[in-house]
Amino acid sequence: MSAYIHCSGISHMYRPAHGKEVLALDGVSLDIGEREFMALLGPSGCGKSTLLYMIGGFLPVETGRLTVGNAPVTGPGPERGIVFQHFALFPWKTVRQNILYGLEKKSLPRSEREQRAQHYIDRVHLSGFESAYPSQLSGGMKQRVAIARMLAVEPDILLMDEPFGALDAQTRELMHEELLAIVRRTPRTVVFVTHDVREAVYLADRVAVMTARPGRIKEIVTIDKPSCAGGDFMRTQAYRDKVDYLWHLVRAEALKTERAPANRAPS
Amino acid sequence: MRPPLVISRITPVVIMAVTWELAPRLGGVNPDFLPSLTMVAQAWWRSVATGELPYHAIVSLANLAIGLLASIAIGTLLGVLMAWHPLLNATVGPLVQMTFPIPRTALVPVMILWLGLGAASKIAAIFSGCLLPVIVSAYNGARGVEPTLIWSALALGASRRQVLWEIALPGALPDLMAGIRTAIAIAFVLMVTSEFLVGGRGLGYLISFTGDAGAYAAMFSVVLTVAALGFLADRLYLHLMTQILRWRE
Amino acid sequence: MARVTPLRSWYLTALRGASVVAFFLAWELVTRVGAIRPFLLPAPSLILDQLRFELVSGELVQAIQGTLLRMFGGYAIAVAIGVPFGILLARVAPVRWFFDPLVSIALPMPQIAFLPIFILWMGVGDGAKIALIAFSSIFPIIVQTWAGAEGIDKFMAWSAQSLGVGKRAFLWDIVLPAAMPQIFNGLQIALPIALLSTVVVEMLMGGSGVGGSIIDGMRLSDSPELFAGIVTVGVLGFLLDRAMDRLRRRALAWHQESQAD
Repeated sequence: MSAYIHCSGISHMYRPAHGKEVLALDGVSLDIGEREFMALLGPSGCGKSTLLYMIGGFLPVETGRLTVGNAPVTGPGPERGIVFQHFALFPWKTVRQNILYGLEKKSLPRSEREQRAQHYIDRVHLSGFESAYPSQLSGGMKQRVAIARMLAVEPDILLMDEPFGALDAQTRELMHEELLAIVRRTPRTVVFVTHDVREAVYLADRVAVMTARPGRIKEIVTIDKPSCAGGDFMRTQAYRDKVDYLWHLVRAEALKTERAPANRAPS
Repeated sequence: MRPPLVISRITPVVIMAVTWELAPRLGGVNPDFLPSLTMVAQAWWRSVATGELPYHAIVSLANLAIGLLASIAIGTLLGVLMAWHPLLNATVGPLVQMTFPIPRTALVPVMILWLGLGAASKIAAIFSGCLLPVIVSAYNGARGVEPTLIWSALALGASRRQVLWEIALPGALPDLMAGIRTAIAIAFVLMVTSEFLVGGRGLGYLISFTGDAGAYAAMFSVVLTVAALGFLADRLYLHLMTQILRWRE
Repeated sequence: MARVTPLRSWYLTALRGASVVAFFLAWELVTRVGAIRPFLLPAPSLILDQLRFELVSGELVQAIQGTLLRMFGGYAIAVAIGVPFGILLARVAPVRWFFDPLVSIALPMPQIAFLPIFILWMGVGDGAKIALIAFSSIFPIIVQTWAGAEGIDKFMAWSAQSLGVGKRAFLWDIVLPAAMPQIFNGLQIALPIALLSTVVVEMLMGGSGVGGSIIDGMRLSDSPELFAGIVTVGVLGFLLDRAMDRLRRRALAWHQESQAD
């Protein structure tokens, strides 16, 4: 399988305005296939978000090689959509206006823009809330707006940075179902950052476990599951075994992070 | 390698100073309207050496200090008491609120009418202008103290009066100190305005005097002195404020 | 502090009203009885008479017009220059480097001290007045706009970039709306400053406007005229504040909601 997203030897030095430099990523090499759901799993500070931001083109690649579809990444773009943990919605725009934003940048005819926006509003089950402002919505609803906004420009790759981290447990489970439904309906590449082992096993095809800072790929684990796995997958022994295995991998790294001297740098 | 911070901050000022010096000299700007930096500096030095500038500066600052300190003392007391005693708040509060929309400087002519052309009216103007921001910030600060802090103190056996002085007052300090910073800025404006109107002595008077006499370099030098004093007062106070409020993270 | 029962709060509200009424009554009585020399403090009824007189003669409207025109002239200049400059300071590093010291020094200065310099440059007239008003009002606007345009949420900016926004559109689509609450803070702070500066320059340079009538009242010891002027300024200040509040609510409807969150 040819790699759709290819990283080799990626290193990243975090340079804060005050304080000393920190090596966030150290020679990360990873291949992600087309239409693959890859989870980046690791303790906080391991650099998984940093890697995601580099794939998204928000952070420059100084050391190593990063290509998407054989072309090197030079900056952000609508073919790589992104969703953040704290939603990053435009608070002065309504739900519909937020979702329309990327469509406006694509210079589509107006009727098509409106149609597409409505389509995705319905898809994420927010019909009826088109004219609401983000401040009036719950956390789960805000994240659905963020997802719809990303999907509306129909990106090839979905980049998700702990998207459900700010939601309560029940909402999170509902969002898992919705995300899987979306991905199954229109298969595309997903890179999903999380520190939650169960979430990674449930959602992903493969899970890349990262080491504590400086981040490297510790191990890549394939999750064998039936393609239409739903909630019942979680009750299988295969699931529990995988979770157990990954948990031990991550735990070792998490302990290293706990015991490391305090360092201020993003994950 | 980045240049040291001090150099980085000083350089723009140096560039502006040089521009100021050259513009009138090279004929780009009429030197009557903008005396060159050296001329202004010379006038400033002359004024300092003859004792003229220090004299007026001390007079001005003395008036300012008296008016300001009085407003802080009375304003704080009033504000905290109003926050603490609902009865007092209901009677005095609306009267205080009525004075909100009146600009502080509009009271200067009133003081002149009442107290004549002398130091008393200047001090009264400064006092009356600074009183309101202090009252408001003391009031808000005292009200904003977490009820849980007060209840804890009461549960630990403090009397109501002790809670007022030992808990509410320190709790009100952040807001109060911010309000005093505003009051300082207002005090300077009122000092200058009252001296423009009343005359006699003080830096504001000196500015009008030199302006009327056509000694523009001297006028510029005094204006800049006043500006510098206002700036310094603010910075010094800020330093004091951060020291006192160190506990506030 | 004491928990207030509904009965108690009704009682307090009544007390507030009564206090105001009592104050004005006392004022009226004391001045009528002659306990205070009338030229020092006129009775409220005299102040009202004065206002009515000025209204009928057209003086009041003329004075208010003059004051408001100058005020808005200076304020508009301050906004037109201050907001773009604040954004420049936030987004363009060389500009920030050069002007940061100047702006930090200028903010706490008593800008009124510069009036004689403006008079020197522009002569005795409305030009100097408007220049001073603009000069006084601009700094809070610059500082607040700067703060607003600087603190844009990184993730929101990245979302916009990911959705395909270009560099120029970024400024209009993202920076400006996101900075709006702070910008409005600046506008709100600067408005009473503009009114105050207008009154001061009118007082100092004499003649027209509400400030002019205040100073005339002082010079002629005509206290009703003086106090009528103060009341006028107070009412103007109050109305302007309300109008600005309403404007802010309208423009920042999306933000107000989140305040209530």
